[in-house]
Amino acid sequence: MSEKKQQVSRRQFLNYTLTGVGGFMAAGMLVPMLRMAVDPVLQESSAGDLVNVGLAVEDITTEPQRVDWKIDQVDAWYESKVGKSAWVYKNDNDEVVALSPICKHLGCVVSWEGSEDYPDQFYCPCHGGRYHKDGQNIPGTPPTAALDVYESKVENGMLYLGRAHPRGEA
Amino acid sequence: MQWIKEDLQQYIQAKEYVDTIIVPLIPYHLSQDSELEKNAFQSEVLSIFAKEIEKELSGRVMLTPNYHYLKSGSKEEELKRINSWAGDALSQPFKNVFFVTFDSTWKKNEQALDGTLIWLPGIQSGDLKSNEMRSFIHDQVEQIGEFIKSYW
Ligand code: FES
Repeated sequence: MSEKKQQVSRRQFLNYTLTGVGGFMAAGMLVPMLRMAVDPVLQESSAGDLVNVGLAVEDITTEPQRVDWKIDQVDAWYESKVGKSAWVYKNDNDEVVALSPICKHLGCVVSWEGSEDYPDQFYCPCHGGRYHKDGQNIPGTPPTAALDVYESKVENGMLYLGRAHPRGEA
Repeated sequence: MQWIKEDLQQYIQAKEYVDTIIVPLIPYHLSQDSELEKNAFQSEVLSIFAKEIEKELSGRVMLTPNYHYLKSGSKEEELKRINSWAGDALSQPFKNVFFVTFDSTWKKNEQALDGTLIWLPGIQSGDLKSNEMRSFIHDQVEQIGEFIKSYW
């Protein structure tokens, strides 16, 4: 019951924030200059299939962080920029781990500690799928496989990511 | 999920998990030169918005094709047609219907819609490929996502 109450006020709150967003939109349009300054970091590398995702390895901690980057994708009809994301952290052996955020159930995007009730887990907002920090799915929740793992390498202190593979064949 | 063959195969297998549809409402016209660019731009941005939201929540959300209507047309007639889109989904059964739009006239007709209106005010122009636009859309998508999740 109390949860229900909370939900309604949260909904109202979000509704207000959404309608207040117009100001942000205007502000966002005023700073196209910034782009010049930011661009070099996001430039793609020529290093094969692996792409510089704009994250320095020294900035990777043991706490998973989300990185977003773009790749060029050509299919039969279009060439387009496709957004990719990963959850990146260092494991206990100081190795960089990059997990795909795509839920293995039906493909929603999972978040690290996305639910307050499940600290230290990845949480899927769609049907409550959960995964351990290493990407292993938690039995009893909808997903039946672990999160995919990205091919990765480090060059000049920057993180490069490639394709995501199901665990086991990476 | 989107209304494309590949996603629909998955949808049919997993219907019980997909309970929310998103319908983008996009005005179209060729008659008012001064508004043309703005409206076309908003249409592009809204399509991107809708796709990005779908990407975050694809396991539970069906993004319908864009609903286009003549900007100068009768809103009453459009309401009827829009609600018939909603009705088709609700009988599947989808539980939640969300309409996303930049067109403020729907705000006035909000009560008559068989679903929840997400009206995004304000965006006039800009560069779709710029990084600010990208991060701006990113933030917006996050907020709209939170809003939709609050109905689950
Ligand atoms: S899509 Fe993640 S639990 Fe269903």
